[in-house]
Formats: sequence, C-alpha cells, structure tokens
Amino acid sequence: MNDHRQNLKQKQNQLFLFFIVAFAILASRFFYLQIYRQEQYLRASENNRIREVILKPNRGLIFDRNGRVLVDNHAAYDVFVVPFEVQKRDSVLRLTAKILSKTVDDLKARIKKKQIGLFNPVAVQSFVDFETLSKIEEHKLELPGVGIQVVPRRFYPDSANAAHLLGYVGEVTRDELKNGNYSNVRIGDFVGKRGLEKFYDQILRGKPGRKYAEVDALGREVRTLTDRPEIPPVPGKNLHLSLDARLQRMIELKMENKAGAVVVVNCKNGEILALVSKPDYPERIFSEAIAPEQWQKITSDPRKPLFHRAVQSLYPPGSTYKLVLAAAALENGVEPFSKKFNCMGAFQLGRKSYACWKPEGHGNLNLYGAIEQSCNVYFYQLGLETGIEKWAEYSKKLLFPQRTGIDLPDESSGVIPDRDFLDKKYGKNRWSKGLILNQVIGQGDVLVSPLQMARLAMIIANRGEFFPFHLLHYIEDPLTGEKKILTHKSDHVVGISDRTFEVLRQAMWRVVNGDNGTAKAARVWGIEVAGKTGTAENPHGEPHAWFIGFAPYEDPEIAMSIIVENGGSGGRTAAPIAREIVRTYFSSEFRNVE
Amino acid sequence: MLNEQRGKIFFGDVLFIAAIMVLLIFGLAAIFSASHVAGANSANDNFSKQFYWIMIGIMLTTIIIVLPTRYLYFSAYWIYGISIVLLLMAMIFSHGESIRRWLIIGGVRFQPSELAKVATLLALSKYLSEDARDLRRLKDIAIAFLIVGLPFFLIFIEPDLGTSLVFLALVLPILYWAGLPSFYLFVIMTPFLVMAASFNYYTFFVIMIVAIALSLYFQRGLTVSAFLFAINIFVGIMTPFLWNRLHGYQKHRILTFLGIEADPYGLSYQVIQSKVAIGSGGFWGKGFLNGTQTQLRFLPAQHTDFVFSVIGEEFGFLGSFFILILFLFLILRGIYISAIVKNRFLSLLVFGAVIILAFHAVVNTGMTVGIFPVTGLPLPFLSYGGSFMATCFLLVGFILHASFRRYQYF
Repeated sequence: MNDHRQNLKQKQNQLFLFFIVAFAILASRFFYLQIYRQEQYLRASENNRIREVILKPNRGLIFDRNGRVLVDNHAAYDVFVVPFEVQKRDSVLRLTAKILSKTVDDLKARIKKKQIGLFNPVAVQSFVDFETLSKIEEHKLELPGVGIQVVPRRFYPDSANAAHLLGYVGEVTRDELKNGNYSNVRIGDFVGKRGLEKFYDQILRGKPGRKYAEVDALGREVRTLTDRPEIPPVPGKNLHLSLDARLQRMIELKMENKAGAVVVVNCKNGEILALVSKPDYPERIFSEAIAPEQWQKITSDPRKPLFHRAVQSLYPPGSTYKLVLAAAALENGVEPFSKKFNCMGAFQLGRKSYACWKPEGHGNLNLYGAIEQSCNVYFYQLGLETGIEKWAEYSKKLLFPQRTGIDLPDESSGVIPDRDFLDKKYGKNRWSKGLILNQVIGQGDVLVSPLQMARLAMIIANRGEFFPFHLLHYIEDPLTGEKKILTHKSDHVVGISDRTFEVLRQAMWRVVNGDNGTAKAARVWGIEVAGKTGTAENPHGEPHAWFIGFAPYEDPEIAMSIIVENGGSGGRTAAPIAREIVRTYFSSEFRNVE
Repeated sequence: MLNEQRGKIFFGDVLFIAAIMVLLIFGLAAIFSASHVAGANSANDNFSKQFYWIMIGIMLTTIIIVLPTRYLYFSAYWIYGISIVLLLMAMIFSHGESIRRWLIIGGVRFQPSELAKVATLLALSKYLSEDARDLRRLKDIAIAFLIVGLPFFLIFIEPDLGTSLVFLALVLPILYWAGLPSFYLFVIMTPFLVMAASFNYYTFFVIMIVAIALSLYFQRGLTVSAFLFAINIFVGIMTPFLWNRLHGYQKHRILTFLGIEADPYGLSYQVIQSKVAIGSGGFWGKGFLNGTQTQLRFLPAQHTDFVFSVIGEEFGFLGSFFILILFLFLILRGIYISAIVKNRFLSLLVFGAVIILAFHAVVNTGMTVGIFPVTGLPLPFLSYGGSFMATCFLLVGFILHASFRRYQYF
C-alpha cells in the first residue's frame, strides 16, 4: 500500500511538472501576443474598427434648353446583405429570397458576383417597393445581416421621352472596369451605359468623397470619427442641352407607331433642337427596377427599339441625294435654266430600261423643274454626263460620309461608293453603267445617316457654312452655379460657289412652294419652307420616305431631316411632319417660352 | 482517529473555492461585456441566465459534497446507463436536424453529452477501483476503453468532435493514474505518434530511434520489441502512402476536420479576430466595456467559446495571466487531492474531474491564442452555457467531496 502511495506521489510530481510547463507555454503565448506584438495587433483592431466610408456623389442632372428637367435624381431603397453574416445562415437567405420573390440560388449567385470582401454590403435588389421594404423591416430580427440602404436613382420625368439620346445608367460590369478608363468607380456603382449618360459620364458622375467611421463587425456605422477630416463628395455637373423638350415631344407624338428618325438643328450654330428615333422604349422604365422580362422584351423586339436610328442607322438617301449630283453638275458648268432633258417616263440604257417614278413622264425639264418634280430620267442623264468621279468628289466636298461629330456615342459614318469602291465590290470594270444611274439618284450602295442629311440641309441653307452638331449647350456646377458654355467654331464647305448654293436653294424652295413641287405638304402659311423629298427603294418592303429642308427660306433658322422607314412617298409621309415641325417651332406661343 | 478528521475543511479547500469564485466573477464580467449593448445600463439577458446557472451549479456542488460516497459509487453504472440512453434519444429525436446535440425534457434544453462526461467518469472510476481489477490484464483494459468508447462514438457521430475528444483525453491519464503499466501506455501511444511524425523523414527517424530505445528499456524480450518495431515501421510507411492516394478534397476534409487546415472564411477568421482582440489588449487591457473588438462584435462566439478573448482584450496580459494562474492552481490542487485521498474510487474520480477541467481549460485557451485548432470546447466557469456550467460544478463537487473525506478509506 505504501508502495502505491509512493507511486502516486511520483505521478503527482510528474503531472505537476507537466501542467506547469503547459501553462508556462500558454502564458508565454499571451506574453508574445499582448506585449511583444501588441502594437501590430492594436493597429489591426483599429483597422477593424475604423472603416473608410465612400460618400457617393450625386449624379448631375440634365435639362433642356428652357430649363425643363429631363433627368432627375430621386431616392430609392436597396436591399443589401453582408456576405459574412448570411453565408452560414440558410434560413436568412431563404426568408430574404422569399420576400424578394427570388430563388436562394439566384440570391447566392448575385452575392457572389458583386461582393467585395466579406464585410462590404452587397445590394441584392435595387429599387424595392414599399411593400417589400416593410416586409424586410417587419422581419428585421430574423434577418441579421440584411438591411435597407437609401440610394439615389435616376428619375425621368415625362417632359419628353428622348430615350435614345438621354440613354440610361446601369451598374458597371467587371469587364467595363477592366477595360474602360473609369476612375473612382467600384463594382456596384452606376455609370452611363448609353446616350448622353454614357457620352458625358465623366462630367455627370462627380467625384466620391470619404469619411472615417467606427463600424461594427457587420460594417454598420456606429459613429463618425471626428478626428479624421471628411472629404465631401464633389457632385456631378448638370448638363443643359440645346434640345427643346416640347418640340421633341411633339415630334415623338407625330412619329408614334412609325419607324424612323427626325433631326432638327439650329443652322446658325449646330445646336440640336430635336432628335427623335422610333421605335423607342419608355425612358420611364429606368426610373424603377426594370424587370428582366421587360428588358428581355425590349432587347428581343425585332423592330430593335434600343437602336438609336437618328445616329446609328444608315439608309439609302433616295432622291434627296439628287441635290448632291446637282451641285456637282453646276460646279461642272451646267446652266440650270438651259440644261434640259426630256422625260418620257423611262430611260433606255443599252438593253435595259430605267423608269421614272411618273410613268407618263415629266416632259422637257430644266434643272429647277427636275428638282422640283424629282425627275429620275433627268438625273440619270445628268449623272451620266457628270460622271461618278465628279459625283463622288462633290459628295466628299459636301462632307459625305464624314460623321457630324454629335456628342453621342456610336455615330455611324455611311458609304459613298466611288469607282474604287465599285471595282472592289464587283470587280474591275465588271459593273455596268446602270449601277451608276441608280447610285446618282441615291439608290444602290449609297448609305447615309439622318444626321448627315440634316447637315446637308444646313449647308445648303447657309450657302456652305456649317457647324458641328451638338446637344450640350452648357455645363453647370450645381454648387457654385458657374456655367461653362461651349462654343463651336463654324466651318465652310470648300470648292462650291455661292451661285451653286443659290440655285439649289431656289430649287428647294420650288419643291415646297412650286405648283408641281413634290413637298407641297410641307408648306406653312407665313413661313417659307424649302426642302427636298426622297423615296428610297429598299429590299425591306415599301420605300423609305425622306424629307430634308430648312426654314425660313430667306434667313434660315432651322434645318431638318426626316425619314420614315417604309413610309412610302416622301412627299406624302415625311413632308407633313416637316410642316408640323416648322409650325410648332415658329408659333408665337413656342417662341415666347422664357 | 479516522473519524475525528472526517468532514474537516482545509485552508487549501477555501482557496480552491475562492479561486472558482473569482473565475466565475471574471466570467460574468466578460459575458456582461460581450453581450453589452451601448446605452443600455441594465444587466443583459445572457448575464442573468449565466447567474441563475451558477446558482443551480452551487446547489449541485453542495448536493454532491453532502451525499455519502457510497451513493456515488453505487449509482455510477446507473447514471452511465441513463446518459447513454439520453445520447441515443438525442440521436432519435433530432427533428431531422443534422446536428443532434440537444435534448428537450420538460421544456429544458440540455446537452446529454455534458451528462455523459460526468457519467463516464463515474463509471470508469468505479470500474477501475473494483477489487478484481488487474490492469495488466488485457480484458480489463479493453473494458475500460469500451466504457469510454461508447459515449465517445455516440458524440462523435452527433457530430461534436470537440466534446468527443474530451473522452479520449480522459481515458489514458486515468488508466495511467490507476496503475496501467507504462509499457502498455507506450504500446498504445506509439503508433499514433509515429503516424503524426511519418510525413517527414527526420521526425520519423527520431521517433523510431526513441521508440526502439524505449522498447529495449522496458525489457520485454526481443520478440515483443521486434514485433512493436515492425508494427511501427508498417504504420510509418503506410500512412503517407495512403494519404497520397486520397483526393485533394478528401485530404482537405480530413485536415479541416482535425482543425489542421482551417477553412478560410469560418474558423481562421475567428482565430484571427481572437488574436487581434487579445494582442491589442496589451499589458493593462483596454478596460471593462472598452474593448473595441468585443463591443463592435468582431469576436465570434465571444460569450461562449471565445470568452477568454474578451478578458484578454479588456483586462490585458495582467488579467489573462491571473486567469491562467487560477486554473493552474485548481489543477494542481485537484491532482494533489487525488494523490492523498485514501479511497481509490474517489482518487480516480477526482483525478478524472481534474483531467476533464484541465483539458477544457488548456484546449480552449490554446484555441483563443491560435496554438490549438478550433474545436468548440468551452472554458470552465467562464463560458456562457448552462449544461457545461452544471458539468463543471459537478466535477468541482467530486473534488471537494473527496477533499473533505481524504482520510476515509471506504
């Protein structure tokens, strides 16, 4: 027994030693952490506690020329989750998904896609309605790590739709961040995706500020730290456009249920007054969270409502392009009064017959009459005489296919086929003269944009003087009210005489005001309108209806181009819209707006 | 003469009780701080619940102290049986949940695994203190292992790895204390050490040298030594071989399970935050209710498993060291009592109680400072939780029960 006692005493001493050593190791570990490395861990705890909070700037507003708000900011509510808090709580995810009527997998995928670390809140649903909001609040206790954030969102009042030109904002994608030059943009931020929102994104966006706040483990602000100065955000600048919302809206209504584009520009400075593209989509939908199905419907619509036709579409110009051929011929020494061709309703070239639009023929015409009545046969022959080289040369002098330089993304430039182009396309000397006949009256391979045609109207109206097109009138700093007005230098077409322009102007006057004019529908009592119609054949059905023109004739203020896709005759479909534009623009009510 | 000293309270026991009181006060303070909501000045829910549990615990301790030893002795197997039944019930009435730790009886939620700790200790102490036991006999050793193995297995598949480890940690020390020949201890332990060391040539080499030296030292004859050597070599070669045949995810699962490889978002985050809390406390600590890690809830499980981090942050090295000293005192005092207690059953009971408490204290503390893997073992007397608090008080009850009857043979 004593032996056993002895044995236990010995074991006791061994165990004493063991535990003393074990606790010495633990104590030394505390010493190491709390004394030797205290500084480092103190810094770590401060970094935990103090978080840089990004203060998002307000995006600049957009106004029309009369100060009507086109794009505004309103408050919206986002539902966010803190990934760390919810990653192990399936019940929270399930309930959140149920409230937002999503699936849990959707929710998880969204969190994964957008998270920056584990503690930055991720917005899982933007622009929630009041019902959802109150459900989230109601279940607050069952939803740790889920909350509501107030965020500014774009709001589009109904002053005009102008969907394409205003564009919209959206969350920046990872690809955009990688490839674009976005400064101060983080994942989850909104940037301009289309239209002016995209073109002037830098100016509209502003600069984020920052402050330092004490946060808890969920990243919730506990209090703002005053010992570190706050850098306030710099709000984005406001854009004041040259656009007239009322004119824009009027034209949008006129173009309802049509496809096509309308450009109205001030020919004294190049300011865009209206820029309509149809079909469009209601800009209003971007004021709310757009449902995926709704978006799907828009993007998959065969009429392509997202496409900005005024800027991006290219059409054959049809008879409106006869003006360019006329300019080339005039510069080539053709006398407008004496140069006559006979129209019998068709023109025979080789074995093929080329028809005029009027089967019974126009008879004997000079250049004025040919333009007034838009006689194809006259221009076939004038084209053959002038030649494709001269035609292409004067197209270039009249700035085809140069872009107009409008302040919108993705402007198209067009196609003016010269000899080289045709050689390349059809093989050297493999194309017939008939091809030229088609081309000189604006058919075949010629492609132009509505903007370019408005510019042609402006150039003729101004006898060669033109301005780059622009929508932005001035930039306003919302804090100081300081305005930065953009000036645009005028330019002049080279190598076309005033006399030529004068002939074209007179001929265009006759198109609207002459007895046989094709655009009699554009006549306005008291205001002299000049213009040219076009009826462009195309493989997609009815011809496109064109009208380009300017008013008033003597001292032009506005120039315009109108195209109605598959609208039939330019004189019947496009010219009446021109009349409405002129009537509206020059109405006394409209001009005394300020 | 024997009767004179019966029921005597020693100065050491007073110190022992005082140390526990201080630990309890520290625990309450840490729980108050960890559950504190800025602006509220009333005692919070966790604090008051913990307080009630302590009161219940003190009652349990008192009952254990006054109960005659024979009651403990004779009821040992019964209690063991009941605890096994409860573990099985937790498994059956799991309500389809994947983790089957809780059992609700009469509206009271408790963890049967906590009762199993106490019950297994009682049963094992009784079994090993019976007169017929001879720890050189393989059958007796095997039954001792079975007594521990059954609850271990049931808790392991709950699954609750941390708690099941307590049973493993209990069995070898108590056998050692009960007089298991050290050669057997050696035989049991070597293959595991070899397994752990087999991934590196040097450690493997060193451990084999030590193993050979020891097996020669025990002088069990060449055949036995050679056999042991062969087994260990085999284990040492097979372990890396089998390991390398596992798929990456299987390895990862095992390592995560063993706590060697932490999953980056869960466990390692806890340890980092715990180390930041403790380290930033410095020598003096940030002060009661002033720990930013604690108050801003950066510490996970800060009132349960990581309660020591709260103390480390708010009371600094001073507070932490004081807690360590108190635990060391409790452990040494417990071992001392189990060495001088005359009754073999009580000696084993006390020793086992000390081992259970010490294992919790050391593993939990090691976890908070990042030198042990995160196993989810609470800290005795400090961590929030009713079932575990009851266990601790029962174990303390055993120790004091024995101390007051240290001269009693039967």
